[in-house]
This record gives sequence, C-alpha cells and structure tokens, in this order.
Amino acid sequence: MRSIRLENVTKFFDGEPIIENLNLTIEGGKFFALLGPSGSGKTTLLRLIAGFEQPDSGSIYLGEQDITHLPINERRINTVFQHYALFPHLNVFDNVAYGLHIRGIAQPVVQEKVIKILRRMRLEKQIYKPIGQLSGGQQQRVALARAIINEPAVLLLDEPLAALDLKLREQMLIELIDLQYDLNTTFVYVTHDQFEALTVADYMAIMNPHGEIAQIDAPRKVYEFPRTTFVAKFIGNTNLFKGMLQIKDERSTIAIEHLGDCIVSKPDLPWARDGAHIYMSLRPEKIYLSKKVLQGFDNHIEGTVETIVYHGRSTQYNIRVHEDLKMQVFEQNEEHFEKEVVDYDDRVHLYWHKRDVVLLEK
Amino acid sequence: MKKPTLGAVVREESSLFVALPALVWQLLLFYLPIGFVIGMSISYVPYYTNIFNLLHFKIIGRSLMLALITSILCLACAYPVAYYLALQIKRYKNIWLFFLMLPFWTSFLVLAYAWFFVLDNYGLINMLLMKLHIIKQPLYLLNTPFAVYMVMLYCYVPFMILPIYTVLEKLDKRLLEASRDLGATKWQTWTNVTLPLSYPGIRTGFLLVFVPSFGELAIPVLMGGGRNFYVGNLISYYYLVAQDSMAGAIFTCLSGVVLLVATLFVNWWFARQRV
Repeated sequence: MRSIRLENVTKFFDGEPIIENLNLTIEGGKFFALLGPSGSGKTTLLRLIAGFEQPDSGSIYLGEQDITHLPINERRINTVFQHYALFPHLNVFDNVAYGLHIRGIAQPVVQEKVIKILRRMRLEKQIYKPIGQLSGGQQQRVALARAIINEPAVLLLDEPLAALDLKLREQMLIELIDLQYDLNTTFVYVTHDQFEALTVADYMAIMNPHGEIAQIDAPRKVYEFPRTTFVAKFIGNTNLFKGMLQIKDERSTIAIEHLGDCIVSKPDLPWARDGAHIYMSLRPEKIYLSKKVLQGFDNHIEGTVETIVYHGRSTQYNIRVHEDLKMQVFEQNEEHFEKEVVDYDDRVHLYWHKRDVVLLEK
Repeated sequence: MKKPTLGAVVREESSLFVALPALVWQLLLFYLPIGFVIGMSISYVPYYTNIFNLLHFKIIGRSLMLALITSILCLACAYPVAYYLALQIKRYKNIWLFFLMLPFWTSFLVLAYAWFFVLDNYGLINMLLMKLHIIKQPLYLLNTPFAVYMVMLYCYVPFMILPIYTVLEKLDKRLLEASRDLGATKWQTWTNVTLPLSYPGIRTGFLLVFVPSFGELAIPVLMGGGRNFYVGNLISYYYLVAQDSMAGAIFTCLSGVVLLVATLFVNWWFARQRV
C-alpha cells in the first residue's frame, strides 16, 4: 500500500532528455494509469521505477525509502511486461514459482501458493503446460500471477494488453480492476490506449510528447475538464477553436473566426481576462443536432452535413459550418428508428449549452 | 484442366533441382565410400579379432580424452567471450566478431606451426618468463600434452564461440530483466535463465569441437612430438603405412560408433537439463 514519489527526475538517452525534472506522486493502494502518446517517456518512467534504468539526477522513493540506487532485485516492485517475458524453458508452474524459488521458500509452501494463485487466474488446467502451448490471454494471466505471487508493494504494468484482441482486452481490464481491489496493491498501468486508461484508473496522469505531465486527475475529470489543448485532443475527440475572450457583466463570449461569438460561462481563472486569446474545447457529443429550430440552448449555428460515419451505438457527423471551419458531432443512436433522417448535404442546426464548453489557456 | 507446362514443373520442383548437384556429390563421394568401408569392416571383423587388443582401446580412450578436454577447455574460454560480445557490447559487434575470426582465415597447419615460436625453448613464453626472472632455465613446453591442448584450444575455440554467441545474441533481454525484477541477483539470473537458454548453443559448439578433435591427427603429432598415437594417426597408419585397408576400415567404423555414442550421450544430457 506504499506510494511512489519521483523528485526532480531527469533521464537522458544519447544526450537527449527523455524526462526532465519530473515530479510525480503515485498514491498507495490506488489504480494509477500513465497515459501518453508513443515516445512520451512513459515506458522510461516505468523502467526508472522498476530499476531497469537509473535516473541521471533526482530521486525515487517507495514510501519513505529512497530506492533511486537500490538494485532491481531488492525493490518490492514487480512488473508485468509488454510481451509478458515468460521464461520459455520453464512451464507455467515454474514460471509462477520463480520469485519464490529465488527467495528459497520451502517447496510445500511454494506448491500451495502457486496452485492457489493459478486457480485464482483460472489456469488450473494449464499448470504443467509449457509456455509455448498457451494462448495470448493465458500467457497474460501467467505473467500477472508470476508478478503478484511475490506480494509486491507496487505492481507495474507496461502496456500489458497490447497483444490481445478487443474482447479479451475488455475482459482482462475488468479482471485487473477486481484484482487490484482484492490485493489493495498500488497498480501503475502504462498505456497509450485511452480506453484502457479511462476504464481501469482511479486516477491518471497524461504525459505530453515532451515527457512532461500535462494533467493528473480522475478519468472523468480528465475527460470533462482537460487542462490543456493537448489533453483535450489526446483524450477523446473534441472541437477546438482559438478565439478572443470578451467578459461583460451579464454575458461572456468568445469570438471565433467563422463561428462568431459563442456564449460561455463567466470564467473564474487568472489567465481568463477580458481580451485574452484563448482556446475553447467542445466535445462532439455535447452538441445537439437537428433540422428543426429549437429553443433553450445558449448557442446555435447552422451548417451542412458533409460526412456521416455510423458507429453502431452512435453516429459521427462532420458539419461544414464555413468554408474553413468544420465541426464534429456525435449523436447517440438511442432509438431503433431515427426520428428525423439526416442525410448528406442537409442543412442542420447545431445547439449547445455554455456549461459544456471548456476554456483553455494553451 | 490445363496441362502443366515444363516450366511450371521445373518451378514446382525447382528446390529439388537446386539441391540435386549437392545431393549427387554427397551420395557419390560420401555415402557410397562410407558404405564400402562399413561393408568391408563388417565382413572382415571375424578375421581381425587381434584388433581388439588393449593398445587399440588405449588409443581410442586417449582420443576421447583429447576430444573431451579440448571441448571443455574451449567451452570455458568461449562462453565468457560469447557472453561479453553478445550481451555487453552494444556497438560494432560485427567488427569485433570479424577481428575475432580473422586469425582463422589462415590454414590450421600454419596456425599450429606458429605456436612453435611461442612454445620453443627460446620462444616467446620462455623469453618473457626469463626476462621477468620468474624462471632461470627455459621450460620444456614443446612436445608436451600442454602444447597439444594449447594448440587444440586455439584452433577449435571459434567453433565454440560462434554457436554460443548466436544463441545469446538472439536471447530476449527482457527475460533477464524479468528475472531481476522477480528478485534474482545477476548470478541467479545467469544460472536460472541465461545458462539454460544457452544450452542449444553450448550443445552445438560441443559437438562442433568434440567430433573433429576426436579424429584430429595433425596437432597431436606436431605439438606432442608424435610420441602418442591417436585414432586419426591409427587410421592413417593402417591405410597409408601398413597398407592394411581392412584394419583401417574397421577403425574408421569403430571411431564412428564411438562418436555416435558420444553425440547421443551429449544430446541426452542436454535434453535432460530442460526440466
């Protein structure tokens, strides 16, 4: 249940800084996800915590213990590797027993623990099978069992589901959430897949391509209230526009080229001054699309349907509002038959509330 | 249905056509003669009961020892080199490998002769030791088992390095990280992961060294002063000196059987290591 703290950690590769002066605290006993695009340094961060890499400067703490220079094998941290890294010369049992065997635990105890954990992972039929005969999902569960049998203080998971198909991935995510709840161990889950991160995490950090942490929050907060345009664009889809903020007593607006003045809630942020050039993010599913004229919305604009992409549970529309401005709209397909049929080249109205707009400094 | 054209047939069977010259070559120049030799030796064994005497078994035993000790020496020297090259060196691996293999572009005999200048009474080793005042009298190194094993090791070591290097190079480095991650020290990682996973390379290297050094005849004669007979010498003696091709054939087969048994034993031993 111990936390991890990184203080001013810097790591260079070939003279290039991958991570610079990074500060991060990962709370104990939580499911923490580290999300970022490829090359953002998230795997490097994980390798620093595991001890496979040494930081060029800064310190890493596990609870109150400084583990910056502690050898890998002395850290109470275990890793589930991206491609599992199971020992090909050992069978399922010996793979899982490896950590206990190394620590010289008596054979009957090992036997009992391994069997118990393999049963928990629903692998009791595969106990003496060689690794090569297992399916991807089974290998994944062996890798998990091999790590958690050592009762680590922290479990690191490096894109553990990347090699599995979608259905299996969704199933494994639920199993991971259950496992974390049962063990109460700190889980650090590294991924570039926002769906995985949003699903599993109690809270998550988003890394930008420069190895900086752009935001740490609960998944819902990250999605609904992104703090930077990078986060807004990286998590989910969004309509992002730049414009000038105009604050008046009764009515605040943001003036956007080709879109006009959009009404926004009066901002309560130091950088949101009258006349400031800022960004506005509007999620496509917050926009209501109709061919009819409706009342009760703060904002309204007209456009032409350019493309329609059917996703099953929702439909994505790309609406041409102006020659140089398009907007993306998601509509839930709530009913079996649509009330009004929207087709290509139809003129439509877009409506949204000011409360659904997020203002961003940069 | 269209009849297949000749071109299509040739393409279909092209792998056989490509392999044909080598197959014919092997059939005519290896399997046919060895068949004769085996046939001859089997039909003549009843008349050559005097072949099975103590001296001959001593020679086979001596060759086995030579092959075994050479293999073990090669393994001891080659493994660290291969390990270092495959796992520690990050850049220019091929250049390192090239320089390692460069001496072996020279003929075996020249390599062996070169050692005379190293091991001679007034050779490199003795001069150095005397200059450093470690010894007063030159050591008698030539024509000793020491000289034989030194040169055997020198000539055969690349056959051990290359297969081990290949296996270690292909080794998934994340397995080593996984082992450390699970609490193993570097040494435990080596004994539990690296070593078992390098067995295929060690086995190949062992056989590549063991088999030819069992039949080696030049190096023991040159460096050992020709005082001890080995299987290779025995066969060439019966064929070339005594002109007794029957005895030669019998020994060829006998050494073949010994090698077969040894190879099977090595394979069995390594197979048993994979629990």
